Amino acid sequence: MSEHEPTPTPELVTVKIDGKEHQLPKGKNLLEALLDLGEDISYFCYHPGLSVAASCRQCLVGIRGSMVPSCQTTVSDGLELESQSPTVLDARRQMLEFTLVNHPVDCVICDKAGECTLQRHYMDWDGKPSEIDHEKVEKPKKVDVGREIVLDAERCILCSRCVRFCQEIAESPDLVFEYRGNHETLTTAPDRRLDNSYSLNTVDICPVGALTDKDFRFKIRVWELYATRSVCNGCAAGCDTEVHHRDGRIYRMVPPKDWDMNLNWMCDDGRRTYKSVAAQRLTRPLVDGEPAELDAALAAIKERLEPLLAQDRGAIGVVLGADASNEDNFMAARMAYDFLEAGHVYLADSPDNGLGDDILRRDDPNPNRAGARGCARGDLGSSEDLARDLADHKLEALYVVGDRLDLSDETLGQLRGLKLVVVQASEPSRLTDKAHVVLPAAKWAEVHGTITRTSERAKRDLSASRFGRMRPAVEPPGMARPHWDWLKRVGAVLGVTVEFESAHAVFQEMKKQVPFFAEAQWGGKIPTVMLRFAGRRG
Amino acid sequence: MPARTKVVTVKRGLWENLYLPEIVRGLGVTLKHFFINTLGPKSKRQIVTIDYPDVVRELPERYRGVHRLNTREDGSVRCTACMMCATICPANCIHIEAGERENPASRDIEKFPQVFEIDELVCVVCGLCVEACPCDAIRMDTHVHMPPVEHRKDAVLEKPELMSRGTKSIAVDGGAGPDWRDKYTDLGSLTQIYRPDHIERDRERPARR
Ligand code: SF4
Ligand code: SF4
Ligand code: SF4
Ligand code: SF4
Ligand code: FES
Repeated sequence: MSEHEPTPTPELVTVKIDGKEHQLPKGKNLLEALLDLGEDISYFCYHPGLSVAASCRQCLVGIRGSMVPSCQTTVSDGLELESQSPTVLDARRQMLEFTLVNHPVDCVICDKAGECTLQRHYMDWDGKPSEIDHEKVEKPKKVDVGREIVLDAERCILCSRCVRFCQEIAESPDLVFEYRGNHETLTTAPDRRLDNSYSLNTVDICPVGALTDKDFRFKIRVWELYATRSVCNGCAAGCDTEVHHRDGRIYRMVPPKDWDMNLNWMCDDGRRTYKSVAAQRLTRPLVDGEPAELDAALAAIKERLEPLLAQDRGAIGVVLGADASNEDNFMAARMAYDFLEAGHVYLADSPDNGLGDDILRRDDPNPNRAGARGCARGDLGSSEDLARDLADHKLEALYVVGDRLDLSDETLGQLRGLKLVVVQASEPSRLTDKAHVVLPAAKWAEVHGTITRTSERAKRDLSASRFGRMRPAVEPPGMARPHWDWLKRVGAVLGVTVEFESAHAVFQEMKKQVPFFAEAQWGGKIPTVMLRFAGRRG
Repeated sequence: MPARTKVVTVKRGLWENLYLPEIVRGLGVTLKHFFINTLGPKSKRQIVTIDYPDVVRELPERYRGVHRLNTREDGSVRCTACMMCATICPANCIHIEAGERENPASRDIEKFPQVFEIDELVCVVCGLCVEACPCDAIRMDTHVHMPPVEHRKDAVLEKPELMSRGTKSIAVDGGAGPDWRDKYTDLGSLTQIYRPDHIERDRERPARR
């Protein structure tokens, strides 16, 4: 179905388009082949990740004098077709007019306006005043169809993309059409709601604004947003994502819409992870619970750690974070093994939550458990091991990277007895309350860095890279900094000079030193773009 | 192209170079006008200033005054928070926060501006917001100058103030319907220009249907 296996180089055949000969791969979907050639063709119902419905008739081409939907035709030898002749363009215009017969044209309040396919086609192809002179059929508006989604049935152009998505990708047939002809209406299937874990993808692929996201609804117009490419940190799958933001605030996360990454979906929970970026955050270093200046915090670490370094390095513990990037964990591992020569290295991660499925989501809710393991030189202790070592008084100092260390009250109480507990975290927690020194950390949406995706994702393996790349969409709050940068600064006060100017520099060093990352790619520069110039979505 | 310059030499004789006599002559001109305009016969007076604000000059029809927000038949604001005006505004002085109507009747427009603010001090009075508005919600035809303010923030007009000058729009709520061509043969009547006295009049105007 949506499996994309590496196909052998296809045979090229000659196809005549508007009298001009082209070499096209045999058997390829004609619409896609034409779009690849740069032909200007309108379409609504076709989606490269879904089966072909050929219901909108917007992609018509002329073959042997009749109009044929190109999305339902494959490239064959000797095919001759018209794609830009006046008759074909007229046919497409008339189809567009049909599509608009019952459409309310309420772009003014429609969240899709600005990235709407219907709007775009109308502007590009038609642009003339309505000639419809009868009352439009009224259909239900503002229907609460699911946990995350509102439906405006009047805006729906009946392309069935959402219906097919639910059946084919989400494997949950939640949507159906009822009535026929002029009165055909999208609705939920009997006894069902649009509540599957991937429902918000229907909002993206809907070519119009019929399905809108409750969380995003009316917050901002899309053309006011800026898009930054990053990777979701919601689970170990590490889906590629676009973070849409403005003025330092994130408004939504959506899958990137590149054609060659066409099977990009995201789960609903993943899309909401942006909320934690704006949650209550640590913005200043804390020393013994009191806000402190940066230098004072670093001095406090130096003062309390140096006696230990002279005596018993075995009693120092370092905790890597399954929520921190590869670069962060690499720096933490270097500090632990090369400099502190710490006796104990642990991994802080959240336990598997059983929410995984064979579509995208993994059971492992940590974005980078694999990367943290990849940085380790030897086994990493678990948080149970940490609790045991604390109980056995094996530790004198503890250095924690990340927010994922979850200890019981009893163990937290034992932390008090240590000489030094340093926590690099982004949010206040029971652990930061107990720490001697807290350094505020930046979150994934605020940093450059890479994460390691756990495994092949079930329904797609297109990006082919095991490593996802994060790019900063917003500024970290207050004095928060990336973990690697804190580790560099702490190293510097303790007398280790590390000359990393950027996360990229750390990445290159990591790639050189750790065989696990030999294949890793930093990824090209993808600039942040304003969506005003980004075309359509869906 | 090189700039063309013309050199003009002013010839001054001894009389001009003596300086004082010319000063006295200049004062004479000033005093002549002063006395004509104050003591002289009314027909000869040439006063171009007016006693603003007691006397107000008549403004041109399309004068752009402070903004106002129009209302629907039911008195609610016509604006749908579509952000067209805020987007086109070259001064970036329109701030709108959209909200969703609590329990709209089925055909009501769901979106409305919870916050609508215009900083009249930042506004460059270009009128683009009025051009951009698809809902005939924002207008600048109030013929009202922005009054001077003591604090900058007082120049930020908020929704209630903007609506206080609002009237019902000449557009029909919900659209004129598919037979609009037959209904409105005289399109000229739809493009009347507002005057301050119309604002009072239009508050009472019955709905056009
Ligand atoms: S809601 Fe959108 S995606 Fe679904 S059938 Fe209608 S137009 Fe197509
Ligand atoms: S599957 Fe995981 S990585 Fe992908 S969007 Fe969902 S939470 Fe994010
Ligand atoms: S008149 Fe021009 S500058 Fe003033 S609010 Fe309107 S668009 Fe902005
Ligand atoms: S005043 Fe007009 S253009 Fe501005 S947001 Fe309201 S409806 Fe849109
Ligand atoms: S895209 Fe081909 S029929 Fe809809």
